[in-house]
Amino acid sequence: MQRLLQIFVIFKEYVILTLLIAISLILLFNNDTPQIRAIRSYTVGFVGLMQDMLSLVPNVIELKRENEVLRALNVNLTDEVSRLREARLENLRLRGMLEMKPHNEYKVLPAEVVGKSLHLLRNTLTINAGESDGVKADMPIISDEGLVGKIIVVSGHYAVVQMVINKDFRSSAKVQRSRVDGILTWDGGDVLHLRNVAKKQDVKTGDVVTTSEYSNIFPADIKIGVVSNVTEQTGTLFKDIDIIPSVDFASLEEVFIVTALPDTERTSVERRATVGK
Amino acid sequence: MGQQIKYLFITALLILIQTQAMRLLSLEGMTPDILTIWVVYIAIRHGHPTGTIWGFIIGLAFDLVTGNFIGLSALTKTICGFIAGYFYNENKEVIILRSYRFIVIVLSVSFIQNVVYFLIFTQGTNIGMTRAIFEFGLVTTLYTAIISLIPMFIFSRKTSR
Repeated sequence: MQRLLQIFVIFKEYVILTLLIAISLILLFNNDTPQIRAIRSYTVGFVGLMQDMLSLVPNVIELKRENEVLRALNVNLTDEVSRLREARLENLRLRGMLEMKPHNEYKVLPAEVVGKSLHLLRNTLTINAGESDGVKADMPIISDEGLVGKIIVVSGHYAVVQMVINKDFRSSAKVQRSRVDGILTWDGGDVLHLRNVAKKQDVKTGDVVTTSEYSNIFPADIKIGVVSNVTEQTGTLFKDIDIIPSVDFASLEEVFIVTALPDTERTSVERRATVGK
Repeated sequence: MGQQIKYLFITALLILIQTQAMRLLSLEGMTPDILTIWVVYIAIRHGHPTGTIWGFIIGLAFDLVTGNFIGLSALTKTICGFIAGYFYNENKEVIILRSYRFIVIVLSVSFIQNVVYFLIFTQGTNIGMTRAIFEFGLVTTLYTAIISLIPMFIFSRKTSR
């Protein structure tokens, strides 16, 4: 024992280093355990509260500018709502004639962004809505400009959103014009990427990209962005498609939570099919 | 004990600045890592064990606050504190902290830390490790080293009085 203590004293720097690295690695490999998720939930609640308090400091100039923008937007939206009502009625009539199933309508819950963590490749937002508002992990987040991300951690009154510009983010997406679908990813630049699109598929610069019906998390037809560049590299079967996101992530202040959860029946049947392969 | 509380308070303040204010200094999405500068400072002032332990505490606190991968910053900042501890010299700590040597230490420690960070970070992604290290890691390292001029000048002025 004495000898062991002596060794510890002599090599204490290395013992401490090894111990702390081991703890870090254990934490790293157990990120998805309920205990770690509970700790994250508590810290998100605490940090969210702090960020909320900090955001109480009003920015008069910003508020004035926002007010002007909102007034202009209100005029445009009023006009658009009336045109959309007409279109909806027409759509219902035509769907009835074709006996097609209507799209699922989803409810949205407004929330304010109380914190942003733009840390290299894992960008997240903290919003002031949590479990008490019915928010759950995996719920999609949108803004008036398009898709923002999805909820990854929830506490009582706050939630952390994994943004589209996060290297862990994945979603199925489609080109609105040609209905070509692929997988939406981001790897650190100014643009998003649509992967797994075969070279023969029809995608052009300027095409609008939206979420697709294949996603079990995101409702279809939420705008993601516009195709800015399409290249065909030799040696691969797929196109390289760049998308400029429609959302300005740097200036996001208000978002909407789509209170829709993945369809469990669909997930279950898809999982059974995968297991059965 | 008093000093530990002071360090805890400064750590909390720096994490708040890193998460809330550093994006104002963002260049193409890259922000300086002021927590690395803080870990290097502690290691130079107190040596290996203290630097390593504080590196772990600061990294873990940052992981918890940002809601990211818990353990990743704890791991990199622990290594950062340990390496910076090699530059500890009881009789020369003031000389190191007020000279260009501090910048060089921050630069080298930050680079090693970023290599470890991206080695783990890029696993299972389409992002190439080399690309991540040179495109993100190197820029962050240089930016952090430039920002470390501020504490160096402050310390230099403080000790020359």
